[in-house]
Order: sequence, then C-alpha cells, then structure tokens
Amino acid sequence: MSAVLLIAIPLLVAFVSILSKKLAPWLLLATPIANLVLLFLVPTGIVVIGGFQPPFGISLLLDTYSFIALFAVNALVFVIGLLNVKEYHQFSSILLVALAGLNGLILTNDLFNLFVFLEIAGIAAYLIAASNKKPASVFHYLVLGAVGSSFYLFGLIILYAMFGTLNMVDMIEKINAATVSASALILPFFLMFVGLGVEAKLLPFNSWVKGVLGSSNTMSGPMFASVYAVTVSFVFGRLLNNLFAFQGNLLVVVVAILLLGIALGEAMAFSSKKAREILLYSSIAQASVVILLFVNGLVLWGALLAVANAVSKFVLFYVVTKAQKEVGCDDLDSLQGMFQGNYVVGVAFSVAALSVIGIPLFAGFVLKLGYLTELAANANWLAIAVILVASLVEGIYYVRMLVKLWYPGEKEVKVSFGNVATVVIALAAALLLVFGVYRGPIDNLDNTIDSVSEVIDLG
Amino acid sequence: MIQYAAILLFVLGLYGLLTNRNVIKIIVSLNVLEIGLNIFIISIGYVSGGIAPILTSVNNTSALLFVDPLPQALVLTAIVIGVGTTALGLAFAKSIYAKYGTFDLDEVEELK
Repeated sequence: MSAVLLIAIPLLVAFVSILSKKLAPWLLLATPIANLVLLFLVPTGIVVIGGFQPPFGISLLLDTYSFIALFAVNALVFVIGLLNVKEYHQFSSILLVALAGLNGLILTNDLFNLFVFLEIAGIAAYLIAASNKKPASVFHYLVLGAVGSSFYLFGLIILYAMFGTLNMVDMIEKINAATVSASALILPFFLMFVGLGVEAKLLPFNSWVKGVLGSSNTMSGPMFASVYAVTVSFVFGRLLNNLFAFQGNLLVVVVAILLLGIALGEAMAFSSKKAREILLYSSIAQASVVILLFVNGLVLWGALLAVANAVSKFVLFYVVTKAQKEVGCDDLDSLQGMFQGNYVVGVAFSVAALSVIGIPLFAGFVLKLGYLTELAANANWLAIAVILVASLVEGIYYVRMLVKLWYPGEKEVKVSFGNVATVVIALAAALLLVFGVYRGPIDNLDNTIDSVSEVIDLG
Repeated sequence: MIQYAAILLFVLGLYGLLTNRNVIKIIVSLNVLEIGLNIFIISIGYVSGGIAPILTSVNNTSALLFVDPLPQALVLTAIVIGVGTTALGLAFAKSIYAKYGTFDLDEVEELK
C-alpha cells in the first residue's frame, strides 16, 4: 500500500458519488475514515510514482509533519461531513474532491503538482463557498484565488528556469549548492509567497475572506476556517522551512506583512460587532502568527499551533454559524444569552475561545508559552511584543463575546444544536483541555519533526 | 523577446483585473493574464534551433537538439485548469446576473 491512495481514494470516490445521490453522503463519511486507517498502514518516506526515480516524475513525501496534517484534515472533514450530512448532502462530492486536493497539497513533493492540487482544492473551495448563496463574494474569491495561483505558477516556473527541476528535495539541494545569487531568488520566492498568501489569508491578499467567511454556514465556515487554514499553513511551513531562503530585504518585507496582518486582524476583530466577523478577523491574525513562526524556523510550534487553531476554529465557527442559522442574524446582541440551556456547547465554545487567547490549562497556552520562549531565545523582541499585544486585544474581544453569549438579554434566544453536534463539539474542546495539561506527545514530536527535516535536507 | 510579450500580456491582464468592474470583462482579463503566463512557460522550454521532443524514424537518437518538453506538459495542465476556472467563473457570473440583474460589481454592491 502506498500513500498515493490517500489522494486517489477520495478522488475516485468523488466521481463514483456523482452516480448515486443517495449513497454520496455515506461515501463522504466513509472516505475520511478509510484514509485515517490507511494513514497508519502506509509506510512513511518518499513515495515514487510510476517507477520514475526522483528527481524525475512526481513523488510524494509522507513524514511526521505531513502525517499530523493529514490526520487533522481527514478527521476534520469527517466531523464536518457528519454534522452537515443532512443539510448539505448535495455537497458530498465537492467535499470529497476538496479532500483529495488537500491531501495532495500536504503530500506532494513536486512544486508543479502542488499548483495542480492548489487549483483542485481551490475549485472545490469556490463551490463550497457557493453554498453561502452570495455569488458576488464567491466570484471575488475565485478571481483572487486564480490570480494568486497564477503568481505561484509564475514564481515556480522562474525557479524551474534557474534550476531545471520541480522536485522539492532536489530544488532544495540545488538552492543550497548556491550557483545562483540570493538576490536572483527574491522575485520567484516573493511571487510564490504572494500566491500562497491568498489562500493563507495573509493581509493584503485576503479581501475575499470577509465576503466568504462573513456569510458562511455550518459547512463552509468550519471548512475554510479550520480545514483549509490548517492545510495551507502546513504547505507554507514546508516551503518556508525547506525551500524559501528569505534573507535581507525580502525577509523584512515578509515579516512586516505578517506583523501588520496580526495587528490589523486583531484590531478589526476588536471593532466588529458580528460574531462571524470577529472570528474571521481573528483567523486572519492567527494565520499570520502561524506563518510568522514558520518564517522564524519554529516548525514544530507553527505546525501544532495550526492544528490547535483548526480545532478551536472548528468549534467556534460551527457554534456561531449554527446559531446564526437558527436566529437569522449573527450580531452579538441578537445572540445574547444563547448558551442558557446549552451549557455543554457553551462550555466547549468557551474552552475553544480561551484556548485561542492562550489562557493556562488550555492547549493554546502551552503552545503560546512554547513559541514565545523560542522567540525570546532568538531575541525576536518585535514579534514577541506584537504577539503579546495581540493576545491582550484578543482576550478583550473574546471575553466580551463570551459574556454576551452567556448572560441572557431581554429576549430569550433558543438554539438547538442536536446531540451529535453537542458530543462532537464537546470532544473537540476536551482535546484542547487534554493537550493543555498533558505535554508528553508534544515533547516526543519535538524529536521526530527535527529528524524528518534533517531527512529532507539530506534528500 | 517573446518573454517580454508574455510579461506584457500578464501585466495587461492584471491591469484589466484591477480596473474593470464588469464580471465578464474581469473573466476576460483573467484569461489574458493566464495566456501571458502560459506563453512565458512555453518560452522557458524553447531551445534555439531545437526540434519537437519526439523520437521518430527520422529523429531516432536522443543526441539531437530537442526543445524542453516539460514546460509544454505544464502548460497543457495549466490551460486545462484555466478553462475549468473560467467555466466556473462564468457560472458564477450567470448566478450574479440572475440574482442582481447586472454584471457590474459596483451596482451589485449597491443592491446588497
């Protein structure tokens, strides 16, 4: 068995699912489960396809890093599928295509193949966004996404012209051999950074986010804020730590973009009154924090923060979009007191929000402490200052939001979440609690991720 | 030389995207941008005096000067993806028109 099946199965099932509308939702639920089982069975390492030994042909790379991302993505797609199986059953095939694209993005070891999967995941994303019934916003997203991936393609073809290879490991070796000056690499790296920045919701390239996530539903909200966000973060991490050698002015520009993204994202979330807008601006800031960690070489912390954010944002977005659907509005005032009678969901939502802020006892705290310590060791005081101020602002608006949602207002707000959703949300929140007090697995991962990056360096 | 033309088309497409507010014109601009990019990719594989990278009974040795076939394969994929995106964009254009009765994004903003 090979890791190719993680991409091939969802893609094949997606086409099969078109044939039977009744069967499609079941196939959507079965496929991520099959992928999760398969993930533990397939051997790790470089997967050669079609007998072409790298650097020829297309190869995949399954290591601890991609394992974590694949586990998170498949588990989240299963959960999101489960919670939306009745209402959005006609989107089953699209979610399966999205799953194939996202798994491919994480696994691929070929830069052009990455572009292809970016487009597959992108086209599925436009269709998922279409479920919001806001065609103008989706069109805006489509144009930005298409331009972004064109920039990525432009950058990668310049790299191909320079080094004559598309294989990532081979490219890294050739760049390290440094036959080309660093200044010649600025243009392709920056073009690729901009291209991926569109999907990663980085600041100047993310004008689509408000239209898409601001009117998201129980399927599109968690899909974009958690599944797509975690995948693109991992792809960024892979490229930033192995391929992009940001130095000099380019590094200054990239860090400035990211710090500005954190500051403005938090400021916009602070000034919003709508629940979904608060969460989406918070996601923008969090995405910038994750990429900032990758830029500073903190691979482990960036990866774990991306996963923790994905779990938290899944809970937050699902609860808010569900409430918006039942109440018909997502103003905090109109949702006031919605956790009265929904104590389990309320507690889970609070856990997720407090974890994002980084309050002790929750996973967010362990991670924040970890990466701030590392940043301090690197004497990166500006980043630390921005992250700490951002956390303070984050604390204010999340606590303000929690107070609103817990304390009843004049009007009684009733939202019924259903048993399945309540259990799933509670389990996700429990994960954030468990990893907030139990650090064992994170310390173990520390060693494995390091050794894998050495493997990549060595080819 | 052809690379300058390709970059000019790319920039022209980008200019069109930034200045147009009509959905159909935006899709056309996107296509101009993609065509510019595709020509650029093809030009990367061009070898002066090179022949098509196919072994035939006449050209039966790999010692001959061939153009690089990889960018051609890449462009083929990029074209297919571009067509898919364009088709999807047109479908959204249709639903924008069905919902707002206009292709102009400024008017759509006002109608929201």
